[in-house]
Amino acid sequence: MPSKRTAFLFSSIVLVLALVLAACGATPEPEVVVQTVVVEKEVEGETVTVVETVEVEVTTQVEVEKEVVITATPEPVEEPLILRLGQNAADLSSLDPHFATTTEARGLVDMIFNGLMRYQPGNGAFEAMEPDLAEDFPEMEMTDDGMQVWTFTLRQGVMCHPSGNLASYELTSEDVVYSLEKSANPERSAYAGEYTGMIFEAVDDYTVRITLEQPLSPVLFYPKVANYSGGFIVCSQAVEALGDDKFKTYPVGTGPFMFDSYRPQERVTLMANPDYFRGAPQIDGVEYRYMADVSSREAGLLAGELDVINGQPDIAWVDKMQVESGIQVDVFGVGEVATVHFNTTVTPLDDPDVRKALAYAMDRDEFLALFGEPVAENVYSPVPSKFLAGGLTQEEAEALDLDYAVDRDLAQQMLADAGYPDGFALEVITSEMTGYRRIYENMQAQLAEVGVDLTVNVVDHSTMHAQIREDVNPIIVYIAWRPNADVYLTRFYHSDSIVVTGASPDTNFSHYAAIDDMIEAARVETDADAQIELWKEAQIQTLEDMVSYPLHFQQQVYARSDGVDYGHELVSVLALYPGITENTTLER
Amino acid sequence: MLRYIIRRLLLAIPILLAVFTLVFLVVRVIPGDPATSALGDYASKEAVEALRERMGLNEPLHIQYLQFLGNLLRGDFGVSLINGQPINEQVAYALPYTIQLTLASVFLGILLGVPLGVITAMNRNNAIDYLGRIISLVGLSVPAFYFGILLMLLLAVKINVFPAVGGGDLREDPIGSLKFLVLPTLTLGLIMTTSVTRLARSAMLNVLSEDYVRTARAKGLAERAVVVRHALRSALLPIVSITGFWAASLIGDSVLTEYIFSRPGLGKMLVGAILQRDYTALQSVMVIYAAFVVIINLLTDLTYGFLDPRISN
Repeated sequence: MPSKRTAFLFSSIVLVLALVLAACGATPEPEVVVQTVVVEKEVEGETVTVVETVEVEVTTQVEVEKEVVITATPEPVEEPLILRLGQNAADLSSLDPHFATTTEARGLVDMIFNGLMRYQPGNGAFEAMEPDLAEDFPEMEMTDDGMQVWTFTLRQGVMCHPSGNLASYELTSEDVVYSLEKSANPERSAYAGEYTGMIFEAVDDYTVRITLEQPLSPVLFYPKVANYSGGFIVCSQAVEALGDDKFKTYPVGTGPFMFDSYRPQERVTLMANPDYFRGAPQIDGVEYRYMADVSSREAGLLAGELDVINGQPDIAWVDKMQVESGIQVDVFGVGEVATVHFNTTVTPLDDPDVRKALAYAMDRDEFLALFGEPVAENVYSPVPSKFLAGGLTQEEAEALDLDYAVDRDLAQQMLADAGYPDGFALEVITSEMTGYRRIYENMQAQLAEVGVDLTVNVVDHSTMHAQIREDVNPIIVYIAWRPNADVYLTRFYHSDSIVVTGASPDTNFSHYAAIDDMIEAARVETDADAQIELWKEAQIQTLEDMVSYPLHFQQQVYARSDGVDYGHELVSVLALYPGITENTTLER
Repeated sequence: MLRYIIRRLLLAIPILLAVFTLVFLVVRVIPGDPATSALGDYASKEAVEALRERMGLNEPLHIQYLQFLGNLLRGDFGVSLINGQPINEQVAYALPYTIQLTLASVFLGILLGVPLGVITAMNRNNAIDYLGRIISLVGLSVPAFYFGILLMLLLAVKINVFPAVGGGDLREDPIGSLKFLVLPTLTLGLIMTTSVTRLARSAMLNVLSEDYVRTARAKGLAERAVVVRHALRSALLPIVSITGFWAASLIGDSVLTEYIFSRPGLGKMLVGAILQRDYTALQSVMVIYAAFVVIINLLTDLTYGFLDPRISN
């Protein structure tokens, strides 16, 4: 007896066959029809024409109406051209440009927003600044009561990105004033301190007037209204509709790319703004991926899943990636300056001769070799002369004998004269981040040669930042970029900025108070050359007192596939990424 | 059985409370805070202080504790201190990726580990057994993150078979996202395989020497029947235990694996929360992990009882 399974199988086969036969269709049966025909016959020797009726077997042809469909060759659906960037970050912090202080956030907001002025793509030098939302450079005039007025005329037809229920609308002076007032509000901006003493007015729809209680040189004023930090212009209607908190993850600006979506811990997707006033972008969008592990980013780039990645500021990494087929590595500014600060309140660093001895014990070139040129380059003053006005060049420092070229015999002699013939011991903490840890480890080895025993404890990066602001370290290595000399000097060397005890505690780890007057005089100097001279004098003083020893700057390192063309030369970018604009192209 | 389950679930409450309290205190002892992390070192001290105030970090510690605990009991994990996003939404997004990876890894570990253990036990002291034992020893010695990077370089970069990074889109394209699961699953699953193999081998060897197995052979049963129908069930008991242990362990190991492969799971969320000092995200993820461990342990005990009626009685 066949099993159920067998019976089912048999039935299925029969059914299928029946269906197939039915589908084939039967041939029509032939039918007999009567037709009238005309024939010629021979009758009694004569050919005659006769009409006869005959039965004929006829197969009816079934005419099948065939529908012939002519289709045009379908155009291939093009995949949107999305540039995929792997960034060294765990997750999104803020897309509100006035809170975008971290490296990962700066790159994103740079693509979404504009400023009244802008740093040229790929060139962050002050001399290369140009108008952005403004039609032209601003006019400046002084009032009778000593205030300074800058007047901007806005471009017309600049459109804010559409967002949710809010349609795209034209940016006017109302948005600019709103945005700058937001930047100046400590509740709504991390950069409020930059806008103290400023009044913002919308004269008409396309004219903005900014009045400064304290006049500033263009070197100090333009960055405040540029496409950087508090200078980014937000669209007021969108901020009001969304609220400040929502705006942090749903930004609305006027830039070449618009916010599309955010996937937590994974990516932010931007889409091209077809109405961008400089022209529609040549790529369809950007995927900004959060990938904190450099191995992952490398693998993603080499596997073709990423187009651009944030690399490692290390010449060994650069060399390794440059030999890979189809990969280009870019090393560019701005350079974050690494400086060794001495806490002058801690024995024996309260003795200037001891500090100078330590400076002579250290070799800049040894520190430089940790990262390699061109990833790093030596600096001879707190302000890096390569990127900012007011820094001292190597030649200037050497001419003043303030370069502190390594001389360990001199260092030992100076320590002995200061009462430390056998050296001394100090304990410090360092961040686990490569940039910091390598410097401290190398410093430990260098200072050991003159008898200084440095114990180095490694902590995580956030912990280091917290603890050095509690005045834990006698010797502090700090790596930072600041947008101009005034910010560098104010935050690291003005007495108000002294850690813990200053009027406005910041990063004056040296507890230095000797150049306050010079810093303040330079800040209010409106003559550019005179201003630069004041900054240089201030730094010369810090070197003479050896409160800090400038080492080098570390540049940005990015790798990309051959198919990526940023659309500009890469010299320096304040947003710490290569700069993706409407001119960026991508081929795969 | 029901009373047992209820009792175990009730016991979980003080465990979870203890975990939450410990994490709450530890993260606040570590130097650094969310405000500094959110604003970076460029921000002025005033800006940092203003943000700390808005984040509620200046509230007394016991107020912060009670506020979060109260929200937790209502199923509300709060918002990220860094980007203001609701933690519930972030967890809902990340959790499926972690569950997917953990389940796949456990499945792979058992699917490969048990047969390999049985095979090595059946071929005791010959080449197959030696090879199996060496491989499992190597597997136990290799750190998961290192193994993961090797797999990534070989199968994603050198031979472009699988994606190197990412998790795919579980919601929009669940089938397509499976290819993103392969390398992370191999990373975690193969390491579990080595442990299961060793345990399965050991368990089988013990059982194969039992009297009832000898009796089964004496009855004339085929060796396959002896192993599968008689020996394996007894040998499964310790394997169930180790599976539960590994499932809980793999949830922790998934942290590094998700980080390396850039999978948007709870592990990556946890690492990000630690680096950014995002207290609410960190506390929430740790409570979820603790809940997972409690549930897995309970399921393990119940499975054990099912397999061995003597235990459930």
